[in-house]
Amino acid sequence: MPAYHSAFLEDTDVRIIGNFALLPLRTKTRGPAYTLPSLPAGVAELDLDPDHESYDILDETLTLFRANTLFRNFEIKGPADRVLIYGILWISDCLSRLKPTMTLREAEKAITTAALEQYALPGDPSFPLNALYQGPRDRGEAELLRGYIGQMRQELGSRLLTRIYADGTGKPSKWWLSFTKRRFMGMSL
Amino acid sequence: MLLLEYHNLLIQTLLTERFNSTTPTSIDQIISDFDGVTFHVSTPESKTKILVSISVKCFSDLVKYGANDVLRREYGPYVVEPEVGYDFSIVLDLENLPATQEEKDELIRKVALLRRNAMAAPFERAIDTHHSLSTEAAKFTAESAPETSNSEVMAIHYREEEAMYIQASHDRVTVVFSTVFREETDRIFGKVFLSEFVDARRRAIQNAPQVLYRNDPPLEIRNVPGVKTDESGDLGYITFVLFPRHLTRQRREESISHIQTFRDYFHYHIKAAKAYMHSRMRRRVADFLKVLNRAQPEQEEKEKKTVTGRTFTRAT
Amino acid sequence: MAYQTPAVVMDNGTGYSKLGFAGNDSPSFVFPTAIATKGPAGGAGGSGSGRPAVAQKPSYLTGGAGPAGHLSAKRGTEDLDYFIGDEAIAMGSGPGYGIHYPIRHGQIDNWDHMERFWQNSIFKYLRVEPEDHYFLLTEPPLNPPEARENTAEIMFESFNCAGLYIAVQAVLALAASWTSSKVQDRSLTGTVIDSGDGVTHVIPVAEGYVVGSSIKSIPIAGRDITYFVQSLLRDRNEPDSSLKTAESIKEEFCYVCPDIVKEFTRFDKDPERFQKYVVDQGAGKKVTVDVGYERFLAPEIFFNPEIYSSDFLTPLPVVVDNVIQSAPIDVRRGLYKNIVLSGGSTLYKDFGRRLQRDIRHLVDARIKRSEQKSGAKSGGLEVHVITHKRQRHGPWFGGSLLGQTPEFRSYCHTKAEYDEIGPSIVRRFALLGGPA
Repeated sequence: MPAYHSAFLEDTDVRIIGNFALLPLRTKTRGPAYTLPSLPAGVAELDLDPDHESYDILDETLTLFRANTLFRNFEIKGPADRVLIYGILWISDCLSRLKPTMTLREAEKAITTAALEQYALPGDPSFPLNALYQGPRDRGEAELLRGYIGQMRQELGSRLLTRIYADGTGKPSKWWLSFTKRRFMGMSL
Repeated sequence: MLLLEYHNLLIQTLLTERFNSTTPTSIDQIISDFDGVTFHVSTPESKTKILVSISVKCFSDLVKYGANDVLRREYGPYVVEPEVGYDFSIVLDLENLPATQEEKDELIRKVALLRRNAMAAPFERAIDTHHSLSTEAAKFTAESAPETSNSEVMAIHYREEEAMYIQASHDRVTVVFSTVFREETDRIFGKVFLSEFVDARRRAIQNAPQVLYRNDPPLEIRNVPGVKTDESGDLGYITFVLFPRHLTRQRREESISHIQTFRDYFHYHIKAAKAYMHSRMRRRVADFLKVLNRAQPEQEEKEKKTVTGRTFTRAT
Repeated sequence: MAYQTPAVVMDNGTGYSKLGFAGNDSPSFVFPTAIATKGPAGGAGGSGSGRPAVAQKPSYLTGGAGPAGHLSAKRGTEDLDYFIGDEAIAMGSGPGYGIHYPIRHGQIDNWDHMERFWQNSIFKYLRVEPEDHYFLLTEPPLNPPEARENTAEIMFESFNCAGLYIAVQAVLALAASWTSSKVQDRSLTGTVIDSGDGVTHVIPVAEGYVVGSSIKSIPIAGRDITYFVQSLLRDRNEPDSSLKTAESIKEEFCYVCPDIVKEFTRFDKDPERFQKYVVDQGAGKKVTVDVGYERFLAPEIFFNPEIYSSDFLTPLPVVVDNVIQSAPIDVRRGLYKNIVLSGGSTLYKDFGRRLQRDIRHLVDARIKRSEQKSGAKSGGLEVHVITHKRQRHGPWFGGSLLGQTPEFRSYCHTKAEYDEIGPSIVRRFALLGGPA
């Protein structure tokens, strides 16, 4: 049983830039992504059913992260998998920026800063995964992609922190931090 | 490992583990020991009651010489009706163990010595007889001591073909083992071993009991019923003469333990000697192989010709 | 003889030896197959003098006498000065003694040491007179006949044992599974998955005979699981991440889950699943180690070797499927129907269930493909993985089971037969427990 693939591979009616899918996101951050309705009252993020209308690729990324980072090989089956890969590598990146002693506030600050930093897009010379990703065709597409990835980074970062600080001790969960050293597909952002 | 242990290691480990663990589990093990002794350790009623039963091939002989008394003395409070098919049984209740660790260990040791204690009865009786005879004899002067102060010979048929005979007298206790070797090689090893044994006293250890080895039954047991005189030489008799210094209060337990394990000790060493011989043989074979390998024929340089008759050398 | 002594069953494995009497439900002694002798430990590869007498390739190098060089200088009782099992490990760590492991990769490597190991096993531990007992020994699959002959030589000539039977471990493991309620017919056809400490074997057995060409081994076994647990502990900077701790955690907490992603989520929802393990570091120092995802991740390396190893990537179910597919076609059905687990590393909860599910998926997918290709309907194939209570010492227990049967002695070769024919007699044994 190899690493897990995205369930969004079947969604074909999404905009694709290069070979990266702009899947809808459930976020309040402004950007180009199609916005899904926010969580209905009383439904916790953990209990969200994959068939629910609010379930997005970021929920999936958070669920699959711990399993998939253990794997070194991954066969990309479509544009949605590339979103998943980017998400997983971004989570790894976030984890490496956290320290076991950080409070939630400090962590939020560190992650938000990181999310807004200058980041490379597929096709840019400094993007590490160019072997797997195609770049955008023109400036317009590039801007769109930059906006989408930015949205992803911020939303994923904040959702990750909710999970890591879920136990209420005010310290990041050691169970999540233990994945810091693992490298999904042997790569990092 | 030069000497064999007297206790049964398996019973010891089994009980130690049970005594020190808090969760009782059921046990049902059949354990074999030297000379046709079989133990059965089980928990038939409840997991906290361990039943240890022993079956000894020559139990009827032992009972004749007071085994029941010895066992009752050693295991008094634990003795129960013997399990069907076994000769003697004791029950240990895990909920009723002695309080301290030392006492527990002592109890374990005692149970592990079950075989030794069962076999000890005739020896104890012989030694007791010896003591009473010697006090008897002390009343006389050396010259006037009655010649026939020997007690009856106790015969214990502890194996199918082998037996041990014990006789007490006023100045010694004589123990005779009859041995049979089914194996040619073993007989030779055995003879060498025994003659070393006989010599040991002469050479180094002055205090050792006197050991005699012969092929025909010694005088002491010649008139015991069932003693065979065998012409083939398969049968041998080993006589140990235990002197009063081996039979003192302090020494006697030790002496009994030692003499009981004699046969097993003897056979163990024959086998150990064979193992030693085998390692030397293997080493020799390895050496010969080395020589043989050096003796490979040299590659002769042969002139090779092609079909047309020209010579060539193969590029190597 | 009216009185029958129980047969002695000895299963000498690479790591541990299991000794006991037939008829018992567990071995009397389980200890490392190690021997500590006076002098330094032999170098890797064992001593030359201990090689099987018929070396396949006698070269200059193997003929060396090894550490037994001072043998001829020995007088007295040095040859008795040695320890085996746990005592050997204890003595070997001190000065004066060196530890040797006479068995390598399942096969006896040093006969000198093995002979003495047996000697001590018989006289000190089991306390039996070998002349009075029949012996049942085990051997790995594909054991060369020379090794069998050497074993017989030692057993009959050194120990004069009354009778001897040498059985293949995998066949005994099959016999051990007869105690499971799921087994209806006592067949000796099946696939044995034997996972010990060092290596895992998948061995197909057809009617009591090992299909040698199809055997596969996997370099993932108990020790690797321990290492993996250790690496996970280290990732979290737990206060104690020694191998011993990792091993205890492995034995106490690990289980096999149906799906790792779902299992991660279950841990998130139910913090009770995280456990604590207290390590006594000696000198009254105690530390608490948290136990988390390794509970299900560690045994997962059988099913996803990728998460642990970078060079071996085939999951166990795939290996089992390949092994069965490479066996003769007429026995495959029987091999799928009776997959028997054996060895300590198969004891994880739900190991059998997961294996059965994964193999069934593979088989069903193949049947579906061939149905599509041929258009014919297949009758389907039964896949059964047998889990039973005696798995840990499977081969030993199988030996105990067969050794107590009244027929056992008639299957053995006796001392008299050996004397008549010689060591070659043990090249063939009648199939024990098979159709008469």
